[in-house]
Amino acid sequence: MTITGEFIAFMGLALVAIIGGVLLLNLTKVVHMVVALIFTFVSIAGIYVLLSAEFVAAVQILIYSGAITIIMLFGIMLTKHDDEGETTTGKGRKVLLFLGILGFAAAVYIGIYDFNVVQVPTDLHVDNTMKIGEALYSKWVIPFELTSVLLLVALVGAIVLAKKEEKEGDKE
Amino acid sequence: MIEDLLQSSPGLMNFGIFFLLAVVLLLVVLGFVTYAILAERKVLGYMQARHGPNQLGGKWGLLQTVADVLKLLLKEDVIPKAADRPLFILAPIIAFTPAFMVLATIPFTDKFQFADIGVGLLYYIAVSGMTVFGMVLGGWASNNKYALLGGMRAGAQMISYEIPLVMSVLGVILLTGSLNLSDIVLQQEHGWFILYQPIAFIVFFIASIAELNRTPFDLPESENELVAGYFVEYSGFRWAFFMLTEYVYMFAMSSLITVIFLGGWLPPLDVLGFIPGAVWFALKFSLVVFVYMWLRATLPRFRIDRLMEFAWKVLFPVALANIFLTALIKTLFF
Repeated sequence: MTITGEFIAFMGLALVAIIGGVLLLNLTKVVHMVVALIFTFVSIAGIYVLLSAEFVAAVQILIYSGAITIIMLFGIMLTKHDDEGETTTGKGRKVLLFLGILGFAAAVYIGIYDFNVVQVPTDLHVDNTMKIGEALYSKWVIPFELTSVLLLVALVGAIVLAKKEEKEGDKE
Repeated sequence: MIEDLLQSSPGLMNFGIFFLLAVVLLLVVLGFVTYAILAERKVLGYMQARHGPNQLGGKWGLLQTVADVLKLLLKEDVIPKAADRPLFILAPIIAFTPAFMVLATIPFTDKFQFADIGVGLLYYIAVSGMTVFGMVLGGWASNNKYALLGGMRAGAQMISYEIPLVMSVLGVILLTGSLNLSDIVLQQEHGWFILYQPIAFIVFFIASIAELNRTPFDLPESENELVAGYFVEYSGFRWAFFMLTEYVYMFAMSSLITVIFLGGWLPPLDVLGFIPGAVWFALKFSLVVFVYMWLRATLPRFRIDRLMEFAWKVLFPVALANIFLTALIKTLFF
Protein backbone atom coordinates (compact mmCIF):
# COMPACT_ATOMS: atom_id res chain seq x y z
CA MET A 1 0.00 0.00 0.00
CA THR A 2 1.40 3.35 -0.97
CA ILE A 3 0.73 6.46 1.04
CA THR A 4 -0.82 9.04 -1.22
CA GLY A 5 -2.24 12.45 -0.47
CA GLU A 6 -5.72 10.99 -0.90
CA PHE A 7 -4.97 8.33 1.71
CA ILE A 8 -3.74 10.91 4.23
CA ALA A 9 -6.79 13.09 3.60
CA PHE A 10 -9.09 10.10 4.00
CA MET A 11 -7.43 9.02 7.25
CA GLY A 12 -7.66 12.54 8.65
CA LEU A 13 -11.33 12.92 7.76
CA ALA A 14 -12.23 9.42 8.93
CA LEU A 15 -10.46 9.99 12.25
CA VAL A 16 -12.28 13.29 12.82
CA ALA A 17 -15.60 11.65 11.93
CA ILE A 18 -15.07 8.75 14.32
CA ILE A 19 -13.68 10.89 17.14
CA GLY A 20 -16.67 13.20 16.69
CA GLY A 21 -18.99 10.21 17.02
CA VAL A 22 -17.23 8.90 20.12
CA LEU A 23 -17.27 12.35 21.73
CA LEU A 24 -20.97 12.66 20.92
CA LEU A 25 -21.58 9.59 23.07
CA ASN A 26 -19.16 10.48 25.86
CA LEU A 27 -19.63 14.20 26.46
CA THR A 28 -22.08 15.19 29.14
CA LYS A 29 -23.48 18.55 28.04
CA VAL A 30 -26.02 18.70 25.22
CA VAL A 31 -24.40 21.59 23.39
CA HIS A 32 -20.97 19.93 23.51
CA MET A 33 -22.49 16.84 21.93
CA VAL A 34 -23.95 18.91 19.13
CA VAL A 35 -20.51 20.43 18.45
CA ALA A 36 -19.07 16.90 18.16
CA LEU A 37 -21.90 16.13 15.72
CA ILE A 38 -20.89 19.13 13.57
CA PHE A 39 -17.36 17.75 13.22
CA THR A 40 -18.69 14.31 12.23
CA PHE A 41 -21.04 15.65 9.57
CA VAL A 42 -18.50 18.06 8.09
CA SER A 43 -15.82 15.38 7.79
CA ILE A 44 -18.31 13.01 6.15
CA ALA A 45 -18.92 15.78 3.62
CA GLY A 46 -15.14 15.88 3.12
CA ILE A 47 -15.14 12.13 2.39
CA TYR A 48 -17.84 12.71 -0.24
CA VAL A 49 -15.54 15.27 -1.87
CA LEU A 50 -12.75 12.66 -1.96
CA LEU A 51 -15.18 10.34 -3.77
CA SER A 52 -15.80 13.09 -6.40
CA ALA A 53 -19.35 13.61 -5.20
CA GLU A 54 -19.23 17.41 -4.67
CA PHE A 55 -22.97 17.81 -5.10
CA VAL A 56 -23.75 15.33 -2.32
CA ALA A 57 -21.08 16.98 -0.13
CA ALA A 58 -22.55 20.47 -0.61
CA VAL A 59 -26.08 19.19 0.03
CA GLN A 60 -24.89 17.32 3.13
CA ILE A 61 -23.54 20.55 4.63
CA LEU A 62 -26.50 22.63 3.44
CA ILE A 63 -29.10 20.31 4.97
CA TYR A 64 -27.26 19.41 8.14
CA SER A 65 -26.16 22.93 9.02
CA GLY A 66 -29.82 23.86 9.35
CA ALA A 67 -30.72 20.59 11.05
CA ILE A 68 -27.91 20.77 13.59
CA THR A 69 -28.71 24.38 14.44
CA ILE A 70 -32.28 23.36 15.16
CA ILE A 71 -31.12 20.41 17.30
CA MET A 72 -28.89 22.86 19.18
CA LEU A 73 -31.74 25.33 19.73
CA PHE A 74 -34.04 22.56 20.96
CA GLY A 75 -31.24 21.21 23.12
CA ILE A 76 -30.86 24.62 24.72
CA MET A 77 -34.57 25.27 25.12
CA LEU A 78 -35.83 21.85 26.23
CA THR A 79 -33.08 20.72 28.60
CA LYS A 80 -31.93 22.05 31.93
CA HIS A 81 -29.13 24.54 31.69
CA ASP A 82 -26.46 22.73 33.70
CA ASP A 83 -27.81 19.21 33.42
CA GLU A 84 -25.06 16.61 33.28
CA GLY A 85 -25.88 13.17 31.92
CA GLU A 86 -25.45 10.30 34.35
CA THR A 87 -24.34 6.75 33.67
CA THR A 88 -26.70 4.02 34.83
CA THR A 89 -24.99 0.99 33.34
CA GLY A 90 -23.76 -1.81 35.61
CA LYS A 91 -20.54 -3.76 35.26
CA GLY A 92 -22.08 -6.91 33.78
CA ARG A 93 -23.77 -4.89 31.11
CA LYS A 94 -20.50 -3.20 30.22
CA VAL A 95 -18.77 -6.58 29.77
CA LEU A 96 -21.62 -7.79 27.59
CA LEU A 97 -21.45 -4.62 25.50
CA PHE A 98 -17.69 -5.03 25.06
CA LEU A 99 -18.17 -8.65 23.91
CA GLY A 100 -20.85 -7.54 21.49
CA ILE A 101 -18.56 -4.89 20.03
CA LEU A 102 -15.75 -7.42 19.68
CA GLY A 103 -18.09 -9.81 17.88
CA PHE A 104 -19.30 -7.10 15.56
CA ALA A 105 -15.73 -6.00 14.78
CA ALA A 106 -14.73 -9.60 14.03
CA ALA A 107 -17.75 -10.11 11.77
CA VAL A 108 -17.05 -6.92 9.85
CA TYR A 109 -13.36 -7.81 9.57
CA ILE A 110 -14.10 -11.28 8.19
CA GLY A 111 -16.70 -9.81 5.88
CA ILE A 112 -14.52 -7.18 4.26
CA TYR A 113 -11.03 -8.72 4.51
CA ASP A 114 -11.34 -10.83 1.38
CA PHE A 115 -14.01 -8.73 -0.25
CA ASN A 116 -13.10 -8.47 -3.89
CA VAL A 117 -13.66 -4.94 -5.10
CA VAL A 118 -13.77 -4.94 -8.87
CA GLN A 119 -12.20 -1.71 -10.02
CA VAL A 120 -14.18 -0.37 -12.93
CA PRO A 121 -12.84 2.75 -14.65
CA THR A 122 -15.57 5.32 -14.16
CA ASP A 123 -16.05 8.93 -15.06
CA LEU A 124 -18.10 9.82 -12.03
CA HIS A 125 -16.44 13.20 -11.61
CA VAL A 126 -17.57 14.47 -15.03
CA ASP A 127 -20.82 16.46 -14.88
CA ASN A 128 -22.01 14.45 -11.90
CA THR A 129 -24.59 17.04 -10.83
CA MET A 130 -26.27 16.83 -14.21
CA LYS A 131 -26.24 13.03 -14.07
CA ILE A 132 -27.83 13.00 -10.63
CA GLY A 133 -30.57 15.25 -11.97
CA GLU A 134 -31.15 13.08 -15.02
CA ALA A 135 -31.29 9.88 -12.97
CA LEU A 136 -33.62 11.47 -10.42
CA TYR A 137 -36.10 12.74 -12.97
CA SER A 138 -36.11 9.78 -15.37
CA LYS A 139 -35.25 6.50 -13.67
CA TRP A 140 -36.18 7.26 -10.07
CA VAL A 141 -38.96 9.77 -10.59
CA ILE A 142 -41.67 7.82 -8.70
CA PRO A 143 -39.67 7.30 -5.47
CA PHE A 144 -38.58 10.94 -5.69
CA GLU A 145 -42.15 12.20 -5.99
CA LEU A 146 -43.31 9.87 -3.22
CA THR A 147 -40.61 11.26 -0.93
CA SER A 148 -41.77 14.79 -1.62
CA VAL A 149 -45.37 13.79 -0.82
CA LEU A 150 -44.14 12.23 2.43
CA LEU A 151 -42.34 15.44 3.38
CA LEU A 152 -45.44 17.47 2.55
CA VAL A 153 -47.56 15.23 4.78
CA ALA A 154 -45.05 15.66 7.61
CA LEU A 155 -45.12 19.45 7.13
CA VAL A 156 -48.91 19.64 7.15
CA GLY A 157 -49.02 17.30 10.16
CA ALA A 158 -46.63 19.56 12.08
CA ILE A 159 -48.77 22.61 11.31
CA VAL A 160 -51.96 20.79 12.39
CA LEU A 161 -50.34 19.74 15.69
CA ALA A 162 -49.05 23.27 16.36
CA LYS A 163 -52.45 24.86 15.61
CA LYS A 164 -54.29 22.45 17.90
CA GLU A 165 -52.17 23.30 20.92
CA GLU A 166 -52.70 26.99 20.33
CA LYS A 167 -56.51 26.62 20.37
CA GLU A 168 -56.50 24.62 23.58
CA GLY A 169 -54.25 27.24 25.11
CA ASP A 170 -56.79 29.93 24.18
CA LYS A 171 -59.67 28.07 25.87
CA GLU A 172 -57.79 27.76 29.09
CA MET B 1 -3.13 31.49 -15.05
CA ILE B 2 -4.69 29.63 -12.14
CA GLU B 3 -6.32 27.18 -14.54
CA ASP B 4 -2.85 26.08 -15.73
CA LEU B 5 -1.56 25.92 -12.16
CA LEU B 6 -4.45 23.73 -11.05
CA GLN B 7 -3.74 21.24 -13.80
CA SER B 8 0.05 21.13 -13.50
CA SER B 9 1.63 18.41 -11.38
CA PRO B 10 1.82 19.21 -7.68
CA GLY B 11 5.11 20.27 -6.11
CA LEU B 12 6.71 22.63 -3.64
CA MET B 13 6.80 25.40 -6.25
CA ASN B 14 3.05 25.18 -6.87
CA PHE B 15 2.41 25.17 -3.16
CA GLY B 16 4.50 28.33 -2.82
CA ILE B 17 2.66 30.11 -5.61
CA PHE B 18 -0.75 29.20 -4.19
CA PHE B 19 0.34 30.22 -0.73
CA LEU B 20 1.54 33.58 -2.03
CA LEU B 21 -1.70 34.18 -3.98
CA ALA B 22 -3.77 33.26 -0.94
CA VAL B 23 -1.77 35.70 1.20
CA VAL B 24 -2.36 38.41 -1.41
CA LEU B 25 -6.10 37.72 -1.32
CA LEU B 26 -6.05 37.76 2.47
CA LEU B 27 -4.34 41.17 2.46
CA VAL B 28 -6.86 42.47 -0.09
CA VAL B 29 -9.75 41.24 2.07
CA LEU B 30 -8.26 42.72 5.25
CA GLY B 31 -7.66 46.01 3.42
CA PHE B 32 -11.26 45.94 2.24
CA VAL B 33 -12.52 45.30 5.77
CA THR B 34 -10.42 48.17 7.16
CA TYR B 35 -11.72 50.69 4.66
CA ALA B 36 -15.27 49.29 4.46
CA ILE B 37 -15.67 50.06 8.16
CA LEU B 38 -14.32 53.57 7.64
CA ALA B 39 -16.49 54.03 4.52
CA GLU B 40 -19.53 52.80 6.40
CA ARG B 41 -18.94 55.32 9.20
CA LYS B 42 -18.33 58.12 6.70
CA VAL B 43 -21.40 57.28 4.58
CA LEU B 44 -23.60 56.95 7.66
CA GLY B 45 -22.14 60.23 8.93
CA TYR B 46 -22.86 62.23 5.78
CA MET B 47 -26.34 60.72 5.45
CA GLN B 48 -27.10 61.85 9.00
CA ALA B 49 -25.63 65.33 8.34
CA ARG B 50 -22.43 64.91 10.37
CA HIS B 51 -18.81 64.26 9.45
CA GLY B 52 -17.89 60.83 10.81
CA PRO B 53 -14.25 60.11 11.73
CA ASN B 54 -12.05 63.03 10.73
CA GLN B 55 -9.22 63.25 13.25
CA LEU B 56 -6.71 60.43 12.82
CA GLY B 57 -4.97 60.10 9.47
CA GLY B 58 -5.79 63.45 7.87
CA LYS B 59 -9.07 65.05 6.92
CA TRP B 60 -10.72 61.74 5.95
CA GLY B 61 -9.81 59.81 9.08
CA LEU B 62 -7.91 57.27 7.01
CA LEU B 63 -6.16 55.66 9.99
CA GLN B 64 -9.19 55.49 12.29
CA THR B 65 -9.92 51.77 11.71
CA VAL B 66 -6.25 50.86 11.96
CA ALA B 67 -6.13 52.51 15.37
CA ASP B 68 -9.36 50.76 16.41
CA VAL B 69 -8.00 47.35 15.42
CA LEU B 70 -4.73 48.04 17.23
CA LYS B 71 -6.71 48.94 20.34
CA LEU B 72 -8.69 45.70 20.10
CA LEU B 73 -5.56 43.59 19.70
CA LEU B 74 -3.89 45.18 22.72
CA LYS B 75 -6.95 44.79 24.93
CA GLU B 76 -6.98 42.33 27.78
CA ASP B 77 -8.49 38.98 26.80
CA VAL B 78 -11.46 38.58 29.14
CA ILE B 79 -13.28 35.25 29.45
CA PRO B 80 -16.16 35.41 31.95
CA LYS B 81 -15.86 33.06 34.91
CA ALA B 82 -19.25 31.41 34.38
CA ALA B 83 -18.73 30.99 30.62
CA ASP B 84 -18.26 27.62 28.98
CA ARG B 85 -14.55 28.10 28.35
CA PRO B 86 -13.77 25.70 25.44
CA LEU B 87 -16.87 26.69 23.49
CA PHE B 88 -16.31 30.37 24.24
CA ILE B 89 -12.89 30.07 22.58
CA LEU B 90 -14.11 27.87 19.74
CA ALA B 91 -17.16 29.95 18.74
CA PRO B 92 -15.39 32.86 16.98
CA ILE B 93 -13.20 30.38 15.09
CA ILE B 94 -16.22 28.38 13.89
CA ALA B 95 -17.92 31.62 12.88
CA PHE B 96 -15.05 33.03 10.90
CA THR B 97 -13.47 30.04 9.13
CA PRO B 98 -16.38 29.57 6.67
CA ALA B 99 -16.25 33.29 5.85
CA PHE B 100 -12.79 32.81 4.37
CA MET B 101 -13.60 29.40 2.86
CA VAL B 102 -16.32 30.82 0.63
CA LEU B 103 -13.90 33.29 -0.97
CA ALA B 104 -12.08 30.40 -2.69
CA THR B 105 -14.78 29.79 -5.26
CA ILE B 106 -15.63 33.36 -6.31
CA PRO B 107 -14.38 34.26 -9.81
CA PHE B 108 -13.01 37.81 -9.57
CA THR B 109 -11.99 37.84 -13.25
CA ASP B 110 -11.83 35.14 -15.90
CA LYS B 111 -8.24 34.42 -14.83
CA PHE B 112 -8.29 35.02 -11.09
CA GLN B 113 -10.29 32.34 -9.34
CA PHE B 114 -8.92 29.89 -6.82
CA ALA B 115 -11.24 26.89 -7.11
CA ASP B 116 -13.39 26.37 -10.19
CA ILE B 117 -15.86 24.01 -8.52
CA GLY B 118 -18.71 22.52 -10.54
CA VAL B 119 -21.19 23.24 -7.76
CA GLY B 120 -19.70 26.65 -6.85
CA LEU B 121 -22.96 28.41 -6.04
CA LEU B 122 -24.19 25.58 -3.83
CA TYR B 123 -20.76 25.45 -2.13
CA TYR B 124 -21.03 29.13 -1.23
CA ILE B 125 -24.50 28.81 0.28
CA ALA B 126 -23.71 25.56 2.11
CA VAL B 127 -20.44 26.74 3.65
CA SER B 128 -21.75 30.17 4.59
CA GLY B 129 -24.59 28.44 6.43
CA MET B 130 -22.07 27.01 8.89
CA THR B 131 -21.35 30.44 10.41
CA VAL B 132 -24.61 30.29 12.32
CA PHE B 133 -23.08 27.55 14.54
CA GLY B 134 -20.48 30.04 15.71
CA MET B 135 -23.12 32.63 16.55
CA VAL B 136 -25.42 30.25 18.43
CA LEU B 137 -22.48 28.66 20.25
CA GLY B 138 -21.03 32.06 21.14
CA GLY B 139 -24.39 33.14 22.50
CA TRP B 140 -24.79 29.97 24.53
CA ALA B 141 -21.22 29.76 25.82
CA SER B 142 -21.29 33.35 27.13
CA ASN B 143 -23.78 32.26 29.80
CA ASN B 144 -25.61 35.55 29.49
CA LYS B 145 -29.31 36.05 28.84
CA TYR B 146 -28.88 38.78 26.23
CA ALA B 147 -26.23 36.75 24.41
CA LEU B 148 -28.41 33.63 24.40
CA LEU B 149 -31.38 35.59 23.04
CA GLY B 150 -29.15 37.04 20.33
CA GLY B 151 -27.82 33.60 19.44
CA MET B 152 -31.34 32.14 19.26
CA ARG B 153 -32.47 34.97 17.01
CA ALA B 154 -29.41 34.49 14.80
CA GLY B 155 -30.21 30.78 14.43
CA ALA B 156 -33.88 31.31 13.61
CA GLN B 157 -33.23 34.19 11.25
CA MET B 158 -30.34 32.66 9.31
CA ILE B 159 -32.16 29.35 8.74
CA SER B 160 -35.38 31.06 7.67
CA TYR B 161 -33.71 33.42 5.23
CA GLU B 162 -31.47 30.76 3.72
CA ILE B 163 -34.55 29.23 2.07
CA PRO B 164 -35.64 32.26 0.01
CA LEU B 165 -31.93 32.86 -0.74
CA VAL B 166 -31.56 29.42 -2.33
CA MET B 167 -35.01 29.48 -3.97
CA SER B 168 -34.39 32.84 -5.64
CA VAL B 169 -31.15 31.79 -7.35
CA LEU B 170 -32.89 28.68 -8.71
CA GLY B 171 -34.36 30.93 -11.41
CA VAL B 172 -30.84 31.91 -12.51
CA ILE B 173 -29.73 28.27 -12.38
CA LEU B 174 -32.70 27.29 -14.57
CA LEU B 175 -31.63 29.84 -17.18
CA THR B 176 -27.93 28.89 -17.18
CA GLY B 177 -28.24 25.16 -16.57
CA SER B 178 -25.11 25.29 -14.42
CA LEU B 179 -24.10 25.79 -10.80
CA ASN B 180 -20.61 26.90 -11.78
CA LEU B 181 -20.04 30.59 -11.06
CA SER B 182 -17.76 31.15 -14.11
CA ASP B 183 -20.40 29.62 -16.37
CA ILE B 184 -23.04 31.87 -14.81
CA VAL B 185 -20.92 34.95 -15.61
CA LEU B 186 -20.20 33.81 -19.17
CA GLN B 187 -23.94 33.31 -19.80
CA GLN B 188 -24.52 37.02 -19.11
CA GLU B 189 -22.70 38.30 -22.20
CA HIS B 190 -25.95 39.32 -23.86
CA GLY B 191 -27.59 40.81 -20.79
CA TRP B 192 -27.16 40.67 -17.06
CA PHE B 193 -29.43 38.43 -15.05
CA ILE B 194 -30.74 41.41 -13.11
CA LEU B 195 -32.65 42.20 -16.33
CA TYR B 196 -33.89 38.65 -16.93
CA GLN B 197 -34.55 37.83 -13.27
CA PRO B 198 -35.58 41.08 -11.53
CA ILE B 199 -37.83 39.31 -9.00
CA ALA B 200 -35.08 36.85 -8.12
CA PHE B 201 -32.67 39.76 -7.64
CA ILE B 202 -34.97 41.61 -5.24
CA VAL B 203 -35.69 38.47 -3.18
CA PHE B 204 -32.01 37.50 -3.15
CA PHE B 205 -30.92 40.99 -2.10
CA ILE B 206 -33.39 41.20 0.79
CA ALA B 207 -32.51 37.69 1.97
CA SER B 208 -28.80 38.48 1.70
CA ILE B 209 -29.19 41.49 4.02
CA ALA B 210 -30.79 39.16 6.55
CA GLU B 211 -27.99 36.62 6.12
CA LEU B 212 -25.43 39.37 6.70
CA ASN B 213 -27.24 40.49 9.88
CA ARG B 214 -27.32 44.08 8.74
CA THR B 215 -29.94 46.74 9.43
CA PRO B 216 -32.95 46.50 8.85
CA PHE B 217 -32.51 42.83 9.81
CA ASP B 218 -29.83 43.09 12.51
CA LEU B 219 -32.04 41.61 15.24
CA PRO B 220 -29.40 39.18 16.55
CA GLU B 221 -27.36 42.16 17.69
CA SER B 222 -30.02 44.85 18.10
CA GLU B 223 -28.37 47.29 20.47
CA ASN B 224 -31.51 48.80 21.97
CA GLU B 225 -32.94 45.48 23.16
CA LEU B 226 -30.03 43.08 23.57
CA VAL B 227 -27.05 45.39 24.31
CA ALA B 228 -25.00 43.71 21.54
CA GLY B 229 -26.63 40.33 20.96
CA TYR B 230 -24.62 37.14 20.78
CA PHE B 231 -21.24 38.80 21.39
CA VAL B 232 -22.06 40.84 24.48
CA GLU B 233 -19.47 39.03 26.56
CA TYR B 234 -16.75 39.07 23.94
CA SER B 235 -14.00 41.65 23.97
CA GLY B 236 -10.59 42.27 22.46
CA PHE B 237 -9.48 40.16 19.54
CA ARG B 238 -12.27 37.57 19.92
CA TRP B 239 -14.81 40.33 19.39
CA ALA B 240 -12.68 41.55 16.48
CA PHE B 241 -13.03 38.09 14.93
CA PHE B 242 -16.83 38.35 14.99
CA MET B 243 -16.67 41.79 13.39
CA LEU B 244 -14.17 40.49 10.82
CA THR B 245 -16.59 37.66 9.97
CA GLU B 246 -19.37 40.14 9.39
CA TYR B 247 -17.37 42.31 7.02
CA VAL B 248 -15.71 39.40 5.18
CA TYR B 249 -19.21 38.09 4.53
CA MET B 250 -20.14 41.50 3.21
CA PHE B 251 -17.17 41.22 0.83
CA ALA B 252 -18.17 37.69 -0.21
CA MET B 253 -21.89 38.45 -0.58
CA SER B 254 -21.26 41.60 -2.63
CA SER B 255 -18.93 39.58 -4.88
CA LEU B 256 -21.57 36.88 -5.23
CA ILE B 257 -24.29 39.37 -6.18
CA THR B 258 -21.89 40.93 -8.71
CA VAL B 259 -21.19 37.49 -10.18
CA ILE B 260 -24.76 36.19 -10.30
CA PHE B 261 -26.79 39.25 -11.20
CA LEU B 262 -24.48 42.02 -12.43
CA GLY B 263 -22.37 40.16 -14.96
CA GLY B 264 -19.18 39.72 -12.94
CA TRP B 265 -16.14 41.01 -14.79
CA LEU B 266 -18.02 41.62 -18.09
CA PRO B 267 -18.29 45.25 -19.29
CA PRO B 268 -21.85 46.64 -19.58
CA LEU B 269 -21.32 47.56 -23.26
CA ASP B 270 -19.00 45.90 -25.75
CA VAL B 271 -17.53 49.34 -26.63
CA LEU B 272 -16.16 49.60 -23.09
CA GLY B 273 -14.36 46.25 -23.40
CA PHE B 274 -10.91 47.94 -23.38
CA ILE B 275 -11.20 48.54 -19.63
CA PRO B 276 -9.93 45.40 -17.85
CA GLY B 277 -12.40 43.02 -16.22
CA ALA B 278 -10.98 43.56 -12.74
CA VAL B 279 -11.95 47.25 -12.88
CA TRP B 280 -15.53 46.41 -13.87
CA PHE B 281 -15.74 43.84 -11.11
CA ALA B 282 -14.45 46.37 -8.57
CA LEU B 283 -16.91 49.05 -9.74
CA LYS B 284 -19.99 46.79 -9.57
CA PHE B 285 -18.79 45.35 -6.28
CA SER B 286 -18.39 48.85 -4.77
CA LEU B 287 -21.88 49.76 -5.94
CA VAL B 288 -23.38 46.76 -4.11
CA VAL B 289 -21.41 47.59 -0.95
CA PHE B 290 -22.62 51.19 -1.12
CA VAL B 291 -26.25 50.08 -1.45
CA TYR B 292 -25.83 47.97 1.70
CA MET B 293 -24.54 51.02 3.59
CA TRP B 294 -27.24 53.23 2.15
CA LEU B 295 -29.96 50.84 3.34
CA ARG B 296 -28.41 50.78 6.79
CA ALA B 297 -28.57 54.54 7.00
CA THR B 298 -32.14 54.71 5.68
CA LEU B 299 -34.27 51.95 7.17
CA PRO B 300 -35.32 51.29 10.77
CA ARG B 301 -35.08 47.83 12.32
CA PHE B 302 -37.77 45.15 11.82
CA ARG B 303 -39.72 43.61 14.67
CA ILE B 304 -38.81 39.97 15.34
CA ASP B 305 -42.26 38.49 14.63
CA ARG B 306 -42.64 40.55 11.46
CA LEU B 307 -39.21 39.36 10.35
CA MET B 308 -40.17 35.68 10.42
CA GLU B 309 -43.56 36.32 8.83
CA PHE B 310 -41.88 38.31 6.09
CA ALA B 311 -39.52 35.43 5.25
CA TRP B 312 -42.14 32.68 5.22
CA LYS B 313 -45.25 34.48 3.99
CA VAL B 314 -43.80 36.98 1.50
CA LEU B 315 -40.30 36.12 0.28
CA PHE B 316 -40.75 32.35 0.09
CA PRO B 317 -43.97 32.36 -2.02
CA VAL B 318 -42.56 35.09 -4.27
CA ALA B 319 -39.40 33.03 -4.85
CA LEU B 320 -41.49 29.93 -5.64
CA ALA B 321 -43.65 31.92 -8.06
CA ASN B 322 -40.47 33.19 -9.70
CA ILE B 323 -39.22 29.63 -10.25
CA PHE B 324 -42.58 28.68 -11.78
CA LEU B 325 -42.58 31.74 -14.04
CA THR B 326 -38.98 31.15 -15.14
CA ALA B 327 -39.67 27.50 -15.96
CA LEU B 328 -42.74 28.53 -17.95
CA ILE B 329 -40.84 31.19 -19.90
CA LYS B 330 -37.93 28.86 -20.53
CA THR B 331 -40.11 26.07 -21.97
CA LEU B 332 -42.19 28.47 -24.06
CA PHE B 333 -39.57 30.81 -25.51
CA PHE B 334 -36.10 29.25 -25.37
